[in-house]
Amino acid sequence: MIEVRDLAKHFRVHRRQPGLRASLRSLVLREHLTVRAVEQVSFTIPAGEVVGFLGPNGAGKTTTLKCLTGLLHPTAGTVRVLGHTPHHREPAFLRRISLVMGQRNALFWDLPAADAFEVNRAIYGLAEGPYRSALDELVTLLDLAPLLHKQVRVLSLGERMRCELAGALLHRPDVLFLDEPTLGLDVNGQAAVRTFLRDYNARYGATVLLTSHYMGDVTTLARRVLVIDHGTLRFDGDLAALVEAHSPHRLVRVTLREAVPAQTWVGLGEVSEVDGAVVTLAVPRAETAAVAARLLTTLPVEDVAIEDPPVEHIIRAVFAHA
Amino acid sequence: MRDVLTAYPPLVRSATLVAATYRGRVALSLLTGFFPLLLMGVWLTVVAESGPPKGWTTGDFLSYYAAATLLWNLSGDHVVWQWDADMRSGDLSVRLLRPVHPFHQYATNDLGHRLVFLTVLVPALVLAALLVPGLDYPAGPVRLAAVAAALVLAYAVSLLMASTFALIGFWSTQTSNAWLLWWGLGSFASGWVAPLALMPDWLRSVAVVLPFRTAMGFPVELLMGRLDAREAAFGYAVGLGWLAAFAVLYRIIWRHGVRRYQAVAG
Repeated sequence: MIEVRDLAKHFRVHRRQPGLRASLRSLVLREHLTVRAVEQVSFTIPAGEVVGFLGPNGAGKTTTLKCLTGLLHPTAGTVRVLGHTPHHREPAFLRRISLVMGQRNALFWDLPAADAFEVNRAIYGLAEGPYRSALDELVTLLDLAPLLHKQVRVLSLGERMRCELAGALLHRPDVLFLDEPTLGLDVNGQAAVRTFLRDYNARYGATVLLTSHYMGDVTTLARRVLVIDHGTLRFDGDLAALVEAHSPHRLVRVTLREAVPAQTWVGLGEVSEVDGAVVTLAVPRAETAAVAARLLTTLPVEDVAIEDPPVEHIIRAVFAHA
Repeated sequence: MRDVLTAYPPLVRSATLVAATYRGRVALSLLTGFFPLLLMGVWLTVVAESGPPKGWTTGDFLSYYAAATLLWNLSGDHVVWQWDADMRSGDLSVRLLRPVHPFHQYATNDLGHRLVFLTVLVPALVLAALLVPGLDYPAGPVRLAAVAAALVLAYAVSLLMASTFALIGFWSTQTSNAWLLWWGLGSFASGWVAPLALMPDWLRSVAVVLPFRTAMGFPVELLMGRLDAREAAFGYAVGLGWLAAFAVLYRIIWRHGVRRYQAVAG
């Protein structure tokens, strides 16, 4: 479905020091710099899988996505999506994919979304029946009925993103690329988009590659993650394996019935947070069960919960390690 | 190709809707659409003060610039600004992801905008032709068909020339400024500043083989009945030649240019 082998993308950019002198100098003498945005990236994604693509800003996520959708021509390596070479941009390929960019508007700013959907129907060559059925379904799932006839520019960010998603999915793409689809949305908006995407994947078996800075997007939707940093792939595997590999501790959250002296925790674990009667300990993975048992038998405990650290922390650890 | 043609009507329609969204913008665009009449005023003053240059009378200038107003509004050069803005902002990415080549998306966008203005302008010009004394266009179905074909050719060459030029944006951020220079030179060779008949012989002999005249002077001269059959055939041949040349040039530049696209900003 998606095959990437030794993908590299380099950009040649103009570099100039600040100031008038440097500015005048650059009129005559141009300095250029080669930015290696993506280097030696390889992975395969089978049909129907949802994969999270993680990395800090400038890591190469969006550049990779743009190579996969054919927006960028790779400097080296091969990319195959649905049996096509993306940068050839064959209409047969473009009709089977969609890229949703959280910060870019693919609708018509001055027109209602309903007009943009009609245009998409023509562009993607959709027959009336399939179009109507897809539209009705998307309107229901994304609760678009009150929005369809409003100018896009007057919609809120969350409303616009729901319309963007509908516009991107009217042709029922087999592969969906999502670049920060919940960027700037409030908690409810994020949850609505995540639920919708999960349902869409389940219903149509679409392959989804998702980049997001919100870990909630990734943990809700993807079991497998790709972690990229400085253009190089650092990890490719189960999210659970990533957590295990890069987090030697688990968090034991203890709710106490009464206060205990601070020295109580010595030898049990490292206190990572104290919030009233709730104390969170970072405990080595292998010792988690034993520590929990000790807490229950020796302290006035009301509740104990064991959990993995937030994925954000783990990702940060991966990048720090890299 | 059938798929592309199917997409044309809704794309033109949506562009027309966008163009008609804001009344103020429509009004301002209509006003700028009548700019050729300012030049007409200059030439009418010249005629009044110095007599008809090379035999061009007040009626000739009236007829010439009234028709030139139509051609002014059939120019496809607006696509340059749109391409330029989209390349610089990265909005071209949205168009590249659609299974219809961006050329057709920009072309339909331009067509949609032209339609809004032409629905006002064409009746105004027809009315002026009927009511204003001095405006004189030889009629007849053959001539009208010939003029209609020349108008289509004018728009096609103008659009393709501007679109080809816009592809410079893959290499430079100065497309709009370069286009202004190109357009400035073209305004002399097109018959826009002055009818080519009034130009020096050497300039006219160069201008008649350049694309600018196809996009402006040729249809106007045809409408005014100033070209014989041989000259008209030559005008069409030049226009079709440029159409083919720009089509080939566009394809070549596109193939090389799109590889350089950086899809900036997200």
